[in-house]
Amino acid sequence: MTLTAVLHSEWIKIRSIRSIYGSLIAVLATTLIITVLVLGTVGQEQAEQAGADAVLNAFFALSFGQIAAVVFGATAVSSEFLNGALRVSLAAVPRRSLFYAAKMTAIGGAVLVVGLVTTFTTFLVGQLFLGEHAIGLGHPGVLRAALGGGIHLALMALLAAGLATLLRSAIAVLSLLVPLLLIVPFVLVDVATAVLRYLPDRAGQAVLHQNPVDGPGPWSGLAVTALWAAAALLAGWWAVRNRDA
Amino acid sequence: MTSIDVHELTKEYGATRAVDRLSFRVRPGRVTGFLGPNGAGKSTTMRVVLGLDRPTGGSATIGGRPYARQTEPLRTVGALLDAQAAHGSRTPRSHLSSLAASNGIPMSRVRTVLEETGLGDVGARRIKSFSLGMRQRLGLAAALLGDPQVVMLDEPSNGLDPEGIIWIRELMKRLAREGRTVLVSSHLMNETASFADHLVVLGRGRLLVDMPMKDFLDSRSRPRVRLRTAEPRRLHSALASKGLTGIQAEDGRWVIDGVTAEAIGAIAAHERIHLLELADERATLEQAYLDLTADDTPFAASTTRDRQET
Repeated sequence: MTLTAVLHSEWIKIRSIRSIYGSLIAVLATTLIITVLVLGTVGQEQAEQAGADAVLNAFFALSFGQIAAVVFGATAVSSEFLNGALRVSLAAVPRRSLFYAAKMTAIGGAVLVVGLVTTFTTFLVGQLFLGEHAIGLGHPGVLRAALGGGIHLALMALLAAGLATLLRSAIAVLSLLVPLLLIVPFVLVDVATAVLRYLPDRAGQAVLHQNPVDGPGPWSGLAVTALWAAAALLAGWWAVRNRDA
Repeated sequence: MTSIDVHELTKEYGATRAVDRLSFRVRPGRVTGFLGPNGAGKSTTMRVVLGLDRPTGGSATIGGRPYARQTEPLRTVGALLDAQAAHGSRTPRSHLSSLAASNGIPMSRVRTVLEETGLGDVGARRIKSFSLGMRQRLGLAAALLGDPQVVMLDEPSNGLDPEGIIWIRELMKRLAREGRTVLVSSHLMNETASFADHLVVLGRGRLLVDMPMKDFLDSRSRPRVRLRTAEPRRLHSALASKGLTGIQAEDGRWVIDGVTAEAIGAIAAHERIHLLELADERATLEQAYLDLTADDTPFAASTTRDRQET
């Protein structure tokens, strides 16, 4: 039994559940639609503001797309914990580390590809609305943000997937991560800005700035997110290896 | 030839011992019925054999190797544990394709097993629209996908209609005739009696019986004879002289405990009594099983037990 064979199997599983495949597509759709709506209306005004970060303005909508990535990572895993589906899966692939590695590679790989398509498409389409303020791929920090943004989305999906393996439920993961992504930043913004910058999504999003102020730099921020994802993946691996199915 | 070998198997969940030093071997070429009350440890044993649950002690192997060491397990072992396990949003075809892909099973097998299980026309429909019987057929299709030498089925006739039940009975017999190893758990006694050649019976996680079905029935049957006669009075006195009593039922049949048809036939022939019907009454599997497990059922209602003892 090869990794390629199990990867193929995992990809069929992702493709064949409409809601899971749909959330993968939603990473692109959400980011693109929000970019078009915002840049199409207030894009030029934003660009004229003093201290505007042209790179961040181009990629800000990824923070919405990452919610779809988190949903995808969580539900792709949690479908295995429905009605004993995991027993069928592990009967087919009893080497649990191989099973887990293939599933996480399929999830991470799918989001990485869709994420990179998303960042580049979003950037190129968004700039069409900015007239004289439009920047090109050669603008400082743009290429870094496009590549880093794709990686960031994949890491967020893996974070959710690892947690879902540990908690055996997408609901549990989403009720943990969605508030962390959407609510906590607004509540804590004045209190603990320094801590905020090291939360998984905040740290990774440093890569979307042209000149990140304070906190971790673009690549080190991504590394912080990678550490969060790695911790979740390890926890999930431990659970898959040690639990009865 | 591939056997399932369970050796000194113990499985504990917290303080509960679900399986207790269980040893038995399931051999190829026959259908082995796996019986026991709810909570006796049948499903746990099957899960441990499939490497899904880790044993607390002992081992379970298939063809001498633990399940997890099989290179492409679905090509050796096909199992049906829970018909609900297939995700409702998938189609039978995608569900089976994902299984085939990981085990290097040619995709043409997907179509073959769908046709074989009567799902050929609904291969592209969502599973959530399926009845329990159709899901059960899909579970069987998954079990047969890799054309395996060993087949393990947990309650396979659940939810099947009468045609389905006959179909699966014939399927299991055919698989055994082809030399495969077939282990089938069930709680339906008459069902099991209709397909099993051999029985493994558990009670409270322990092995109670591991023998051919016929031997089990013989061992649990008290001799009893059923007859009809044209000369009840003469028969009555003939029996009385041998210390036997017959009980006459409402339909005119007699039932005599503690003798065989052979003995009664000899008496009747000697006395030249006209018999219309004479047969040994054998215990059904259900009677034999209830007799055996009366003391081993953790959840037996007291009324059931009282009835057993009368």
